[in-house]
Order: sequence, then C-alpha cells, then structure tokens
Amino acid sequence: MSLPLFPIWIVDLLGSSLMILFSFLCVRLAKKLKDQDQSNVVWTYLLWLCYALAGFAISRSVGHIAKRVLLTSGHDDVWDFLRPYSGAINTLMFVVVASITLFFERTWKVYQQISKDQKALQEAHEELIYLNRNLENLVTARTQELAFSERKYRRIFEVSRDGIMLVDGNAAIINLNPAGLSLLGLSGLTTNGKRIRFPNFFDNLDNWTAIQDALSLQGFVSDTEVLLKTDNGTRFPVLLSGTAEKGENGKIDSVQFLIKDISQRKAMEKQLLQADKLASIGQLAAGIAHEINNPLSMVLGYTQLLLRDEKEATQQYADLRIIEKHTRTCKTIVEDLLSFARSTQTRQEVGHVHTALDEVLSVVQHHFELDGIKIEKDFDSKIPKMILDEEKIKQVFMNLIMNAKQAIGKKGSILLKTHYDQALSQVIIQVADTGTGIPPEHLSRIFDPFFTTKPTGEGTGLGLSVSYGIVKDHDGEILVRSEPDQGSVFTVILPANSARGTEIINGRRNSFDYR
Amino acid sequence: MKKSYVTIVSCCFILLMFAMVQPAGATQVHAEPEGLWAHQIAHLFFIISMGILIYWLREWKLVEEKGWRLVQYSALFFILWNIDAIIVHHLDQLGDTFRTINAGTWYASISMNKDSSGLAFLYYIVKLDHLLSVPAIFFLYIGLRQLLKQAQVMKTSDGKS
Repeated sequence: MSLPLFPIWIVDLLGSSLMILFSFLCVRLAKKLKDQDQSNVVWTYLLWLCYALAGFAISRSVGHIAKRVLLTSGHDDVWDFLRPYSGAINTLMFVVVASITLFFERTWKVYQQISKDQKALQEAHEELIYLNRNLENLVTARTQELAFSERKYRRIFEVSRDGIMLVDGNAAIINLNPAGLSLLGLSGLTTNGKRIRFPNFFDNLDNWTAIQDALSLQGFVSDTEVLLKTDNGTRFPVLLSGTAEKGENGKIDSVQFLIKDISQRKAMEKQLLQADKLASIGQLAAGIAHEINNPLSMVLGYTQLLLRDEKEATQQYADLRIIEKHTRTCKTIVEDLLSFARSTQTRQEVGHVHTALDEVLSVVQHHFELDGIKIEKDFDSKIPKMILDEEKIKQVFMNLIMNAKQAIGKKGSILLKTHYDQALSQVIIQVADTGTGIPPEHLSRIFDPFFTTKPTGEGTGLGLSVSYGIVKDHDGEILVRSEPDQGSVFTVILPANSARGTEIINGRRNSFDYR
Repeated sequence: MKKSYVTIVSCCFILLMFAMVQPAGATQVHAEPEGLWAHQIAHLFFIISMGILIYWLREWKLVEEKGWRLVQYSALFFILWNIDAIIVHHLDQLGDTFRTINAGTWYASISMNKDSSGLAFLYYIVKLDHLLSVPAIFFLYIGLRQLLKQAQVMKTSDGKS
C-alpha cells in the first residue's frame, strides 16, 4: 500500500506561506498595540514575541519551501548544503521564541506594578490639580467649618451651667469656663503669675489622691462626689467626672473635668428628709395628743367639780388648784402638738400679712426697744390680701420674732422683710436677726417637737414645730439659713393665689408644694 | 557611526567563522544525532514555555478577556504542533518503516511495509503539521486584533473621561 505525498506538499507550501503571512500580520498588530501606549511593557513584550515568531516562521517556512522547490527541480545537492543551516537556524528560533515566552510572568508583574504606581500617581496628580484649582474655596470652606465648630464648642464651654475645666499633668488649671470660675469663686486662672492648681480647692486632699489614682489606673473618673471649697472657705458638694489624656510615655498630659454643683440637690434632699421626718413625728404626736386630750379633759373637769365644793383656805383646795394648773399646761402642750400635726381647725379669712406682722410688733416692740433690740421693717407694698388664718399666722411671726430676740440676747437688730413674687404668686416673709446663729448640727432638728437649746423650764421646744405645722397648713414653707455668729434668717413662703382659698373653704386640703 | 562599525566587524567575524569550519581536535565532535536531539529538545522547550504561558494566563484570570483567551488557544495549538513535529522527527529517523517512491517528483508516494503500516499511516498524518501551526499563528493574530480593539476602546473612553 502506498500513500501519495502530493497532499502533504500542498499543505506544506500553503501552510508555510500562511505562517509567514500571519506572523507578519501579528507583528503589524503588535506594533499598533505598542503605538497605542508606548509605555505599556506588555505590548512591548508581545511585539518582541511576534518578532521572534516571525523569525521562526521565516526560518521554518522558507526552509520548507526551498526544500520542496529544490528537490522538485532536482537540485538535491543545493538542498543538502542548505539543510544544516536551515535546521540549525530553525532550532535557534524555537529557543528564542520559547525564551521570550517565558518572560511573560515577569513582564506581567512589572506591568501590574507600573499600572498600580501609574494609577496612584494619576490620582495624586488629579487631586493636586483639584486642590490647586479649588484651594482658595477649600480653605475658605474649611475655615468656615472650623470657625463654626469652634463657635459651637466654645458656646457649649461658655454657657454650660456646670464647670468645665482643663488641667495639665501637674493639675494646674489651663482653662476653666465661666460657670467653673463662678463655682470656685475665681476671677482668673493665675495668682502671682502662677497657675492655680485644682487640688487647692479640695476640702479633703485624700479625695484628690484617690481621683489621681483612678485617672492613672483607668484613665477616667465618673460622678465622684467630693467636697470643694472656695478661697473664702465656702464648702459645697460637687459631682466630679474627668477623663485623662496620656502621652506616649504613659504619663498624664492633661485632664478634662466636668464639675457639677449638687449643693441645691443636697439641700433639697435634706429638706425632703426633714419634711418626711416631721410628717412622721406629726402623725405620732397627733395620735398621742388625741389619746391624752380626753383623759386630760376628764381630769380638768373633775378637778374643777371638786374645787367648787372645797373651801378656798384649805390645803385640799390648794392641791386641787395645782392639779388644775398643771393639767391646763398639759392641755396647752397637747394643743400645740395638734397644731404642729395640723390637726386643729384652720380658719379661712381674708387677711394681710402686714396686718399680722404689725399687730405682733405692737405687742413686742416696746419691750424689745427697752432691751436694746432694734426692729427694722422692709415691707413690699405690692403684697395682696390673702386667705389665711390671721391668728395662727400671728402665732408664727410671734414665735419667730421671740426666737430672734432670744438668739440676739442683748443689742442687735431684727429685720422684717416681705416680698411679693408675682411670677410664682408667693408672699415671702423673712425674719433676720444678728444673733448667735444656729450650730450646723442643730439645723436639721430645730423643727422637731420638744427640741430646745433653752434651759429646762424656759421653753417647751414646740414653738418652731407649731409654726412649721401652721405654715404647712397654709400650703406654705418655712426655711432657715443660719451660720454660727452670723445670725439666722427664717423665711416663710405663703401662696398668694385665690384658688387655694377656695379649696380650703370647700374643705379640701391641697398638698401641692410650691418649692 | 561607531555602533555600525562594530556591527559590520562582528558580522564579518561570524561569516569568517562559518567559512573556515574545520575539524577541531581539541573540542568534542558533534556528529549527526546531536543535531536531531538539539532540535527535539528545542521543541520540548517550546512546549514547556507555551505550557507556562497558559498557566499564567489562567492563574491571573486573563483568559476571561477574549483577546488573551485566543492567545491561550494559540499557545495550545503551538504545543500540539510541537508534539506533532517531535513525532515526525522521530519517525523520520527510523528509516525502515516505509519507503519513499519517486522522491523529489510530484508523483512521490510512501510505500508501507505490511508490518509497519500503522506507523506509516501515523507518519502521513503527522506530516500535515501545518494543520496545527497555521491555526496556532491564526489564533495569535485574532487574539492580538482583539487586544488592539480593547486597547482602542479603553483609550477612547479614557480620552472622553
């Protein structure tokens, strides 16, 4: 069996020609690609690959065509001479093409890196151009934003009702807002050219040490209650929160403190506690007073019956008189207790506090002047008439004025001041004296029944308790401010609105607190 | 000027070397089988390099683009062609499996021995190696054309933006 070689030769000649043709077309396309982007290393690579393939195609195809032509035309000797050169060059071209092909991996990585760098450069370039074009606008906008932000935070700093303080690593005050300045009673942040230190305001330096330890350990303190003092010695409780900023070495660079004055809250808590306590005592007192009142009435009644049948000169008569006198004293105490407990009937009449005050003054003024005590009046003419039990209110004023006199002793003055707060519809009556004042430890007990600092027999300790009960019965409040050797100020606050009167008349009790 | 002078001198030197080829006793003799072996190893190197090219094209997912996918096909056909060529060169040197009748004429044919008709038939088929090499270069051509088209599109879009 034999197979004709003719088809092989045809394919060989045609294929060789096509190889040359397409290899040159590839070179042309690769050149066009390179022209698109001269810096693209991949296109350069492809161009070199195409050059090598073109060389390969020429070396191989020309050899094949030459072989076919020379053998067909009978020039075998010429082909025998050319054959080794053709074969060797062809082999070399394989190696060249294969070698160039192997560079693809490196070329592509270089291309990727260049593309990445180029992209970054392009972005930086575009950003620069944008910044160049809009620098002025950007600076203006940023400045406005900054100014707005600064204003905003400055405003928070300035108008905050709480103290905001910045201290450095040595606790020297760097910045303090107006509320903080006012709280600490400062006008500036330096004395004698030196920065004021925050620990100077701590009543107890152990508190500051504890705060410092917490800041070092955890970087912040929150809502720590401490007692601060001003330069003039006024002490006040505050809630202190602080956050430390530490430097690279771990040491505290600065601390921001928020200082919240809680003295009002504390006073309010104290007041509420006092009111609670007095209410409890009042309930107890009322219960006891009711129980004692009836037996006392019986004792008094029978004593008076026995007295009627007894002759005056007898010892028995004298004894019965003593029983009657002490029973009456007991009854007065019981009535006072009932007043304190607000269990007595309160009359509702139209009256004026000035009238009540003037009537009390007319009784005591002459006597006081003889003792060298001056009474000053500062009455607010705008105070309206009110619904009140004038007799009981007079009893309150009498108690307060008598207490003031006893606190002054000899020589001093008492100021009676009234004021009408139209916005709150309140009448405020103050009795201020220049006496010895009340020791702080007694302040929380002065309204307690039977609490007295007077010697035994001079007072029952019910005066202020009764006054408290009467004022509360008028839906008012009674407050005291006193410091040792500075005198005391008792303030009675009564509601002036007519609605209250209506409510009382209708027999309903209004427990609404005005403070 | 200096560069062209160096080139001319180098070319002359190479031509002189080819013209004055003589047996050199001091060097190893490279007899006939070495040429075939060198050629076959060159084909193998070609296959490996094309295989590596395909690997990287796939590794970097370049084949997802039509242009590089066609380049991948081109590399694949070049590998097939190289295998084909290695087989042809191997069969060429066997000698006694077939005879060429009327060699050098348009009527030449291969006469097969009965024992080796399969090999002769394989030789006949693999001799048509251009059926693999032409598609290989053609795929490279259309691949490059596609890449050029993409590059032009990208350049246009870059110019617009």
